[in-house]
Amino acid sequence: MGPLTYFGEISTEWNYVIAIFIGMAFGYIMEASGFSSSRKLIGVFYGYDFAVIRVFITATLVAIIGLLYMGYFGWIDYSVLFVHPTFIFSATIGGIIMGFGFIIGGFCPGTSLCALAIGKLDGWVFTIALFIGIFIYSLVFPLIKPYYNMGDMGHITISEYLNMSNAWFTFWFAIIAVAIFYVTSVIRKKVKEVRY
Amino acid sequence: MSKRYILLAVVFIGSAFGLVVLPDKHDTKQIPAEKFLIEIYNPARFLSTHQIAKRLIERDPSIFLVDVRTPSEFEEYSIPGAFNIPLEHILDEEWVDYLSQDGVDVVLYSNGNIYADQAWMLIAQQGIKNLYIMKGGVNQWFSTIIQPVEPPETASSEAFDLYAFEKAASIYFGGSFANIESATTTPIKKTVVVRKKKKKAAEGGC
Repeated sequence: MGPLTYFGEISTEWNYVIAIFIGMAFGYIMEASGFSSSRKLIGVFYGYDFAVIRVFITATLVAIIGLLYMGYFGWIDYSVLFVHPTFIFSATIGGIIMGFGFIIGGFCPGTSLCALAIGKLDGWVFTIALFIGIFIYSLVFPLIKPYYNMGDMGHITISEYLNMSNAWFTFWFAIIAVAIFYVTSVIRKKVKEVRY
Repeated sequence: MSKRYILLAVVFIGSAFGLVVLPDKHDTKQIPAEKFLIEIYNPARFLSTHQIAKRLIERDPSIFLVDVRTPSEFEEYSIPGAFNIPLEHILDEEWVDYLSQDGVDVVLYSNGNIYADQAWMLIAQQGIKNLYIMKGGVNQWFSTIIQPVEPPETASSEAFDLYAFEKAASIYFGGSFANIESATTTPIKKTVVVRKKKKKAAEGGC
């Protein structure tokens, strides 16, 4: 919450309170969108349900457009925003592993907690397995450490990498997003309907 | 395709295009020119040498003197407790904490008014509060505090009161009314700068 400067600086204690409410709202909306069902989630890989990709792209678009407008009006201090460093190699490998885990397990980490919260058994199994996975990962970490930091690109954003202004990047991203919405709706019509 | 989706797509592309056509954002940290002009004409940004001398004698901790002259001039003579930031380095990042202190009046001075005023304009435009200029600079300091001139006999009683203060201040600051002993023991206020906490970057996570 650091960068939101419109109401003055928010203290650390209030940050946690606000974070809890945002987290609850996030979990509620995920559940309400049906993200606690692994059949719905993996529909994106089989082509019968694209809710996941649509929700995430919509969220990204709302966030990016909102952030840029708020920055423009001086409500947000960009310089305080934390940009995660990009490790292109480990991100690619990790993405592939995560993708397979998603297809096999039927959840991503956040949605598994969502399923756990409403008492789904597969959600429980997935979450327990998740922690076992974290434990194993921490044990083998010394072995894979060299790969962990490979392809370091520093704190870079896509628009910086493409040498594009934020506004133009957002504009093209919005067009690509709408194109994805359209293409996914076409694919969905062609794929045989799955009842779940 | 339903109308809602078309509307949503239009809203997204429209608002994203809005970002592209928005005029360039001006730096909101800078004070707008009209407002700044009013501040320039505000005489309250000047402090007289008497006011400053009085606060130094009282060891007022809420005053911070900044000497914007060159280091060699600063070596030659400076007001006790002053801190040297030459004019050409006044915008350097390392002095930001020194120049913007909460609850401390930062007073700039040079030999006359001009360099201090230039420094004031450069810094005050960044929105820094509690920034003052010592009117008349070191020259005025010498002619009022260090070597005060006796007012003519026809002058008002206020002028004589002021002269009495100047004489006392002169002794304090080791000027023409001071004997050698007191001149050597001129107290020098130690400069204490409270550094502001640096804002930590917010860390994120999935």
